Amino acid sequence: MNAGIYVHIPFCKSKCRYCDFTSYPDKLGFAESYMTCLYHEMAMRGEELKNYKFDTLYIGGGTPSVIDASLIAMLIAAAKKYFNLADNAEITIEMNPESVSESKLALYKKCGVNRFSVGLQTAIDSQLADLGRCHTLNKFLTCAKLLKGENFNVDIMIGLKGQTRGDIEKSIRTAAVFGASHVSMYALTPEDGTPIYTDYLNGELPDGDEVADMYDYGVSILRGLGFGRYEISNFCKSGKESRHNLNYWRRGEYIGLGVSASSCINNVRFTNTFNLDEYFKCIMSNRFPVIDSEEIDLRGQMDETVMLAMRTAEGLNVEEFNEKFGCDFNEVYAAALDKNSAYLEKRGVRLRIKDEYLYVQNTIICDFLA
Amino acid sequence: MKKPNQFIRNFCIIAHIDHGKSTLADRLMEQTGQVSKRDMEEQLLDSMDIERERGITIKLTPVRMFYDSDDGNEYVFNLIDTPGHVDFTYEVSRSLAACEGAILIVDASQGIEAQTLANVYLALENNLEILPVINKIDLPSARPDEAKREIEDVIGLDASYAPLVSAKDGTNIKEVLEDAVKYFPPPDGDEDAPFKALIFDSYYDNYKGVILFVRVKDGGVAVGDKITTFRSDKIYEVTEVGVFAPSMLPKDGLKAGEVGYIAASIKSIQDVAVGDTVINADNRAAEPLPGYKKVQSVVFCGIYPLDGSKFGDLKDALLKLQLNDASLIFEPDTSQALGFGFRCGFLGLLHMEIMQERLEREFNLDIITTAPSVSYKVIKTDGETVFVDNPSHLPPVSEIESMEEPIVHADIYSPPDYLGQIMDLCRDKRGIFEQMTYLDANRVKLEYRLPLNEIIFDFFDKIKSRTRGYASFDYEIIGYEKSKLVKLDMLLNGDVCDALSIIVHESSAYNRGRTLCENLKDAIPRQLFEIPVQAAVGGKIIARETVKAMRKDVLAKCYGGDITRKKKLLEKQKEGKKRMRTIGSVEVPSEVFMQILKTNDD
Repeated sequence: MNAGIYVHIPFCKSKCRYCDFTSYPDKLGFAESYMTCLYHEMAMRGEELKNYKFDTLYIGGGTPSVIDASLIAMLIAAAKKYFNLADNAEITIEMNPESVSESKLALYKKCGVNRFSVGLQTAIDSQLADLGRCHTLNKFLTCAKLLKGENFNVDIMIGLKGQTRGDIEKSIRTAAVFGASHVSMYALTPEDGTPIYTDYLNGELPDGDEVADMYDYGVSILRGLGFGRYEISNFCKSGKESRHNLNYWRRGEYIGLGVSASSCINNVRFTNTFNLDEYFKCIMSNRFPVIDSEEIDLRGQMDETVMLAMRTAEGLNVEEFNEKFGCDFNEVYAAALDKNSAYLEKRGVRLRIKDEYLYVQNTIICDFLA
Repeated sequence: MKKPNQFIRNFCIIAHIDHGKSTLADRLMEQTGQVSKRDMEEQLLDSMDIERERGITIKLTPVRMFYDSDDGNEYVFNLIDTPGHVDFTYEVSRSLAACEGAILIVDASQGIEAQTLANVYLALENNLEILPVINKIDLPSARPDEAKREIEDVIGLDASYAPLVSAKDGTNIKEVLEDAVKYFPPPDGDEDAPFKALIFDSYYDNYKGVILFVRVKDGGVAVGDKITTFRSDKIYEVTEVGVFAPSMLPKDGLKAGEVGYIAASIKSIQDVAVGDTVINADNRAAEPLPGYKKVQSVVFCGIYPLDGSKFGDLKDALLKLQLNDASLIFEPDTSQALGFGFRCGFLGLLHMEIMQERLEREFNLDIITTAPSVSYKVIKTDGETVFVDNPSHLPPVSEIESMEEPIVHADIYSPPDYLGQIMDLCRDKRGIFEQMTYLDANRVKLEYRLPLNEIIFDFFDKIKSRTRGYASFDYEIIGYEKSKLVKLDMLLNGDVCDALSIIVHESSAYNRGRTLCENLKDAIPRQLFEIPVQAAVGGKIIARETVKAMRKDVLAKCYGGDITRKKKLLEKQKEGKKRMRTIGSVEVPSEVFMQILKTNDD
């Protein structure tokens, strides 16, 4: 299977209240130096991975669209130069509505970007303000018009303060009406340390049952609009799955570049430093900025494979699994299978969590871990 | 016949809880130079963490001191610090048997309390000389003269010479030491007679085996001697003897009149019982020393290892604790819900709590305890009478003619302001009022007859909270009385959970059942299916709650960087699941079994 490339652009115009990613709203000035380092990291990694074929490139953040588009163009050029990137590779870039312009889009497309991902989150302005987003619905509409006809994803959040089913429906319909081919609908996760966590502590956010209701409602609206669920939080028109993300859930290999990026190569999972200065220092002294590295043993690989596949609608290909790991899946996981038989279903050689239990899958997957 | 050393004084300190026993003991040790002030850790003899934290003495602790008296002689003092709480009376009686004298501490502001009296009677039964000491004279509320008068009126001891001390400040400690020399008799016995010593305590040391705490009555013992006890035929060779200084200090031998310890590589904990008499195997004494009264457990509960495979560890721990505290009894028991464990008997609620804590702390065991129970008398239709302390062993209703429950006589001391609250509480607990006595303007004694099963749950806590800590409470069991008792079962998803069954009075079954359903509903985590939680009496459902099915348990995002983190999270969740018990198909965390102890009112 071909591998994926992830590049992290840690810059933002402002920090959203729920964000716990590595992003620096105040360091845009470093963008150019950062990109220079990225090219250098690519050169080092490319040398190491020259036998690999790459199928996808995902430029995420942060907000990649916030930096100068020419820097993105150079990035893609560098990726093509240092890595064996397929001609038909899926190249995705994440964007925020406020930082998109016609000229930027034109340049992205020119250097090969063929998939866009826009963070709308919600079509309700007051909720956007609550989240600390620096755009309004109107900004999104402007952006979406520019994207008409393109292959693009829209991020939508559920579980927001004061959110109703109607709000969710409006957000989804807004995305659909402008021709989005893909919707990521995910529940807000209030992480400790983010400003929104205080909302959570004060009981201002919807509880689990309410979020589950919103989710079920969102799924039904999406289905009605022709968006099929292929992963817990991901929905798309037929054939428009994100290849890059599917690779994660099929436990494929991927190389992560840039600050805080994670990789999985040859059953070793490793993560780059989360500290920008540290990243600069490492790259400039020709060292990989890796801070964490873990070799996954055979059982670990098996467990991960199950854990990730169970997120998807396609589920786990048991035959492939047995062949790959040289064991009998039904035997290794007999106890877990027995205990959870009511929540699982077989479709040919595939085993999946029944639709109605997809949203409580942690409880089920737990039993499969060694 | 050779009299023992006449310069030995063996004595203990008795008092009501919190009247300052351990503080005075520390002070005596400091004054005799046993420990330097610098090394003083507060409450030196309360060496267990639980003792320090709770500020109470649980275990008796012996210590040896040297004292240069004003009469020009050097005396050896063997002091045994004792617990004050009613549950530990057994410990006190053990130390008393090893002494000739007792210092009776009375708090200058509180006067005689329930446990003061109980301990005095114990001391008198053991023919001890009693030296009253008025403590806490530094307190502004101290009324030493009234305390003295109470000692004379209530106990009938001459308190005119009682030293007025402040153990906290160190005031008049010297006087106590001099009085000990003057009033306490030297030990009697015969140094030439065959060796004979009373085992008043013991504990297990991983290297030396069982360590016996002994009071030598006759003869002597030295390293290399062969010893045995009256009740066992096993013979051991003494490997070490010594005294408490206050840590164990080896010596060549112990003689009549002395208090010390013996180690003899005794590996089996069952072979030596506290209260037994140690003798020389080659020169046997003819008669054993009088032992102790066998104590009766009044509170029972099941103790199970959280991790079923730790059953053996739990058994070892209980055996070791029993060696140290002979009043703990236990026998193997099984529960459908909890697997293999033990049914344990205790002297009271505090005793039970302390034992549970010691199991967790000293032996690092995670345990699940079931609801405390008392021992019920069940008269069956075939005329047979059985005692049942485990609700799941109760015969079927059809075989029960009638049931009786233990009744206590309770003395509650309180300032008059709280009488109303106390009387309300006692009424709720099926108490029958007997008498009220004004001890003085600020103190009333209320006497009640109460069913023991009503006070083992939370009675003490409630008394304390309703009187802002002012009231104190003491009880003694006076017998059994016929009562309308029923077994209350809890059903999870339709299955009876035996570990949650309790025996209650008919009149409170509905309320307890409803409260338990509510508490369990909150304590049982939501699972993938709906779980009915029901309370039933004799197969009839009397209350129901529902644990709703879980709707959301998922991580919204799982991309490249999240995979490791997500796996860790799931592993943690799995660990949590491992700590749960499965009842039928329901996974139940161990905290659930504690819900039975909670009640919802106040």
